[in-house]
Amino acid sequence: MKIFNSIKWRLQLWYGVILVLVLAGFGFTAYQLEWGRQMHRVDNELQRRVGMIATALHRPPRGPEFGERPFGSPPPDRPADGPPEQISHRPVEFHVPPQAAGLFGPGDANNFYFVIFRDGKEIAGSTNQPDETIIQSLRSSRISSLTLPPPLNEAGPPPPQTIGEFRNVCRPLPSGDVIWVGGSIAPELKQLNLTALKLTGAGGIILLLGLTGGWWLVRRALQPINDISATAAKISTGNLSQRINVAETESELGKLTAVLNSTFARLESAFAQQQQFTADAAHELRTPVSVILTQTQTALSRERAVAEYRETVEACERSAQRMRRLIESLLELARLDAGQETLKRLRFNLAGTVNGCVKQLKPVASQRNVDILTELAPVEITGDAERLAQVVTNLLVNAIQYNRPGGEVRVKLEAQPGLAVLIVTDTGSGISAEDLPHVFERFYRGDKSRTVFNGHAGLGLAISRAIVEAHGGTIEVASRTDRGTTFTVRLPVT
Amino acid sequence: MRILIVEDEPDLLRSLAQAFREEGYAVDSANNGEDGLFNAQSYDYDAIILDVMLPKLDGWEILKRLRKTKKTPVLVLTARDQSRDRVRGLDTGADDYVIKPFDLPELFARLRALIRRSANQPTSVIEVGDVKIDTAARDVFRANQPVELTAREYALVAFLALHRGEVVTRSQLYEHLFDENESSLSNLLDVHVSNVRKKLGPDFITTRRGHGYCIE
Repeated sequence: MKIFNSIKWRLQLWYGVILVLVLAGFGFTAYQLEWGRQMHRVDNELQRRVGMIATALHRPPRGPEFGERPFGSPPPDRPADGPPEQISHRPVEFHVPPQAAGLFGPGDANNFYFVIFRDGKEIAGSTNQPDETIIQSLRSSRISSLTLPPPLNEAGPPPPQTIGEFRNVCRPLPSGDVIWVGGSIAPELKQLNLTALKLTGAGGIILLLGLTGGWWLVRRALQPINDISATAAKISTGNLSQRINVAETESELGKLTAVLNSTFARLESAFAQQQQFTADAAHELRTPVSVILTQTQTALSRERAVAEYRETVEACERSAQRMRRLIESLLELARLDAGQETLKRLRFNLAGTVNGCVKQLKPVASQRNVDILTELAPVEITGDAERLAQVVTNLLVNAIQYNRPGGEVRVKLEAQPGLAVLIVTDTGSGISAEDLPHVFERFYRGDKSRTVFNGHAGLGLAISRAIVEAHGGTIEVASRTDRGTTFTVRLPVT
Repeated sequence: MRILIVEDEPDLLRSLAQAFREEGYAVDSANNGEDGLFNAQSYDYDAIILDVMLPKLDGWEILKRLRKTKKTPVLVLTARDQSRDRVRGLDTGADDYVIKPFDLPELFARLRALIRRSANQPTSVIEVGDVKIDTAARDVFRANQPVELTAREYALVAFLALHRGEVVTRSQLYEHLFDENESSLSNLLDVHVSNVRKKLGPDFITTRRGHGYCIE
């Protein structure tokens, strides 16, 4: 079995893929949220600093009493305020509040810096400038090169920019200056990496748990299928009495199992019937073969008179005839079973057919001193007249055979709505209640001995039923011990 | 040897009876269960061949009832070939079980074995002095020379030899050597005995006055 042909593996693969997708989606979203949160915090920090610088740019220098000082000339008396802020290139006159100045420089893990552009030129900045590539990219930003004050009310503040490991926020001022404040986000990135690692780890664990649980679930769910296939395999090797053990009757597989079990039961009984039929057929052949063997072996054991040979040959002929009739009956049943017996579909008067059969059997009946009384209403039906005549003859022969001397056989044919009903009643000894349900079974004979009548060896009624049923009709029997038996055949009139 | 055959198929019954008569048996026959049981209970047959599927009374029932009174060896002859039927037959009291169709020589041999066993005779060859009786080939030798016996004489010798050492009464002999259809004239037996003595020696069969005959 290829691994991907197995339902178990395919299911496992499918929900494995789905689980990975879902987990990846969740992880990505969680990471994005965390990223947003961190950036928001950084941006707030940056904005605060931008605001301070913007305020400082707006305000005219008021003197050192405010704690302000010209930018770029740090007072020697306050070195602890932070690194000296210097303006490169073109010094601009403005003051940064000392508490603001303390917010830039390497004192912070973020190493905040600021750069001020005017007309695309860098006019001021903190000492801890980032490397030139960042300055370059900030300079080339559209906002930095604006000469006119940008329409602030229109688009709102421009979005922060992330360049490498640095986050930059800008604010264009009405004066045309553009303030960029940036800082390293390395700590945040580190944090985010850690988060990503945690998310991946958690996802991996969940995936593992999911796959394990799923594997267990699938195995459990598919276990009945294994049971079913194991049982079916046993049955296919001939052990028909095997049944699938039904644990959960209400689940889908439980129902399937119940259906299969009932199918197996029917299969077994059909098989047993078939075996019984074959055994019965063989059994029926044993006696005539015994006769032939015994007769011939006895006759051949020494020289015989012609009359003795003649007797032997006659006995052999009787046995052979019996076998022939048996074989014909068996073949007929087999054909009817297989549906190969193509019934003729012709319209004919059933009364005529019944009458013909009665006439044919009158001599047999009078030999046994049995009267046949008929009451036949003309009924036209569509079917195979020859086959149905066989049924009628069989019923009549039975009625004569099992009648008492001086008894009578009543044959009645009547037309009912949509039906032709044939009733054959005898005044014989009847069939015992024990035998009655079995009379249509193959090889079933009431008296258990092998008194063969009609050459059918207990197949006559089975054949009759098969023929009637092939016509879409039914055949029934009712009997009272010592009063007689009634067979009723109902055939559809179409 | 006298046997009973119970079989309802007339052709089979007739040919079996003929075949066994030609084998030197006295044969009674019955074609239904009731008659079969009646016969089986009325006589001490050497063996009974019994069909199972019989009208009126089936073979199992006959066996069951017969076993209450008699130990007669019974060979069940039937078309029922399933193992459970054989087991049932043997357990009900059958001594052997033969399935139809059968070969006559085998049936003969099985019946001989059955009779031999019931008389506690282990082999088919019985030696009495210089007389050797081969019950399988139905031949009798005296001093290794074959002796011609009529069927009835042979039956007499074989029966007495099987019951060697026992005194067999005249009525027993009549019962086992002649079937129900034969007229058994009282002096017929004496004729056979005297003929056997002529052929196998005067001391072969001893007469116990007032009791019967015996092979010592």
